[in-house]
Amino acid sequence: MALADLLESFAPATIPAKAEALRPAIKAFLAQHLASRPPHQRARTWTAWDADFSRALAAKGWVGLTLPQRYGGGGQDAFARFVLIEELLAAGAPIAAHWIGDRQSGPLLLKFGSEAQRKRFIPAICRSEAFFCIGMSEPGAGSDLASVRTRAERTATGWRLNGSKIWTTYAHKADWMIALVRTSGSSDDRQRGLSQILVDLKSPGITIRPITLLTGDSDFSEVHFDAVDLPEDALVGTEGEGWAQVNAELAFERSGPERIYSSLILLDLWTHHLAATDAPALGRFLARLATLRAMSVSITARLAEGQSPIVEAALLKDLGTELEQAIPREIADAVSANPNTPPDPELLQTLAFLMQLSPVFSLRGGTREILRGMIARGMGLR
Amino acid sequence: MFDEAFRRLLVRIAPPAAVRAAEAAPGVPPLWAEIRESGFLDALLPESAGGASLTLAEFHPLALACGEATLPAPFAETAVARLLLHMRGAAAPADAAILLAPPSAILPLAAHATHALIPGPANGTRHWSLIPVSLTGQDPFHCGGGSIDLSAPALFQVPADGEDLLVIAAALAAARMAGSMARLLAMTMEHANSRQQFGRPLAKFQAIQHQLAQMAEQLVSATTASGIGLSGSGFHPLRSAVAKCRTSEAAHDVTAIAHAVHGAMGATADYDLQLHIRRLKQLQLAFGGTDHWARQIGNARIAAPEGTSADFIRTHLHAGTPA
Repeated sequence: MALADLLESFAPATIPAKAEALRPAIKAFLAQHLASRPPHQRARTWTAWDADFSRALAAKGWVGLTLPQRYGGGGQDAFARFVLIEELLAAGAPIAAHWIGDRQSGPLLLKFGSEAQRKRFIPAICRSEAFFCIGMSEPGAGSDLASVRTRAERTATGWRLNGSKIWTTYAHKADWMIALVRTSGSSDDRQRGLSQILVDLKSPGITIRPITLLTGDSDFSEVHFDAVDLPEDALVGTEGEGWAQVNAELAFERSGPERIYSSLILLDLWTHHLAATDAPALGRFLARLATLRAMSVSITARLAEGQSPIVEAALLKDLGTELEQAIPREIADAVSANPNTPPDPELLQTLAFLMQLSPVFSLRGGTREILRGMIARGMGLR
Repeated sequence: MFDEAFRRLLVRIAPPAAVRAAEAAPGVPPLWAEIRESGFLDALLPESAGGASLTLAEFHPLALACGEATLPAPFAETAVARLLLHMRGAAAPADAAILLAPPSAILPLAAHATHALIPGPANGTRHWSLIPVSLTGQDPFHCGGGSIDLSAPALFQVPADGEDLLVIAAALAAARMAGSMARLLAMTMEHANSRQQFGRPLAKFQAIQHQLAQMAEQLVSATTASGIGLSGSGFHPLRSAVAKCRTSEAAHDVTAIAHAVHGAMGATADYDLQLHIRRLKQLQLAFGGTDHWARQIGNARIAAPEGTSADFIRTHLHAGTPA
């Protein structure tokens, strides 16, 4: 990709009035449902699981907003979803339960799933009746995803699954997993021989152990498959095409407001407590955030045109997570500048949470180093 | 397209040799005659006044191109000044190369201008004056900047109509910086692809690749921010603030990486890299740097703390749509 093309992908875009029109109703809903949630809880946003909240959102038609109406979705475009997600994140809504299904599994099944799979799962996703997780990383395969060893072998009735997944977001609460597994060859075959497979997490032979993080939260789990029998129609898409299918998901995973707004609740709380001398620091954050938002809207325009801007999404995510990490780092310095004026207790609690969690921002969804490698390759440097 | 034609013009009339010649001989450079004849100086004027009626967003690529070419002449500034004067019922002399000269640590391009639009008289804010340029200070970056004698007799005054020349000059400087950073990245990639060390091109080393990726990130960010500065139906203090704050901040990383990848040869006078480096550093200081503009944004947010930061950005800091 030539530099000029990269810059052209980020040509300014405007959210259409039709999508903007959704905003007031979303704001009103969130004001009503989140009034009693303190900032340190709202700071968890898309990592906080609340099935009731997800069902209430689904009842408004705001889960699966971009999925076709014939499968129970909202039938709207990527801009509408941008507006919805921006409001959910800015308010700190607990959206983890439906997040993966809404963002990735639903669109994946729509694109690659069989008609029977679409009819069965997409309406359930849109009603927040089926919650999904994605089985990617393994104990021996993190950034080097092509080396997955978990294997699904054909049986008379379908597939038998053996292996382990780790760092699977909320596997211990989800109903279904779409796992990237090996269906032929060995890990030496790298990207070849990988497939995506649907796993009912209530199936016999599955053990799920939540992983407790340094914050005390358990957002991730370790999942073991011991001769788990799956039906024939568990395969998603084409056998052996798992790698290409997974990559098609990445632009959705890396380009949205969730890669720029993770520290927004803290920034807003600090805005109410800061000293006049902190104005330049606040302004620098807002200038970076405004620029990232404009870039995210530009990528949304590319998604709405049906493109798959993978390199652009990697670039946005790397810059976005840098800001998400700078906010707690610099606010920590600011609020501890004078020991005679200890910070507001709620500010301290919210700050402490993000100081501990923020290193993960540039790990989840592709590490900083992986993303920079993708950008360099996109620039023709490898 | 307009911007492609303009870019081709600059490539032809402002090669590095012409830029160096302008540095050696202050004054309006010979290439100004071609810019005048090209008609691009009236790009922003309404069609009824013989212009092309470009919006600021449509003008943005032209302002970027000036930075890409290190054009030693105030093209964007003159084009905007012609619009500002036209809107106030005035007109500059036809051959004027016009500087926007609000208070600034340094005035880039001052040595290549014939006239300057300044706030005042007597530093008032309700009027602007058009004065002939008389250089008074040197440019420590040796690329045509300096300071000017503000007491020179004015050709005429026009009402400021509530606009601030600093806001306008900062937006144009930001675009010039973003354009310059694009060329800097292109040069740095060319160098990384051709320079061999340890038996392979620099571009094959992961440590270099990652730095170039970061440089591209900062370039996209700076270009986007400068586009926010040049958007909507007019200049706006907070949009200019995003543009100049972000481009001045990004220029630190971009120039540092350009130097790191080029090694010592990037710091020589012979090599063209320095033409961009010196101008970027000069422009970082001009018309308010990162902190000045960050403070404007921070103070505006502190004065309007209701709603989320996302609401504030959506209301005040996004690319405005043309009226």
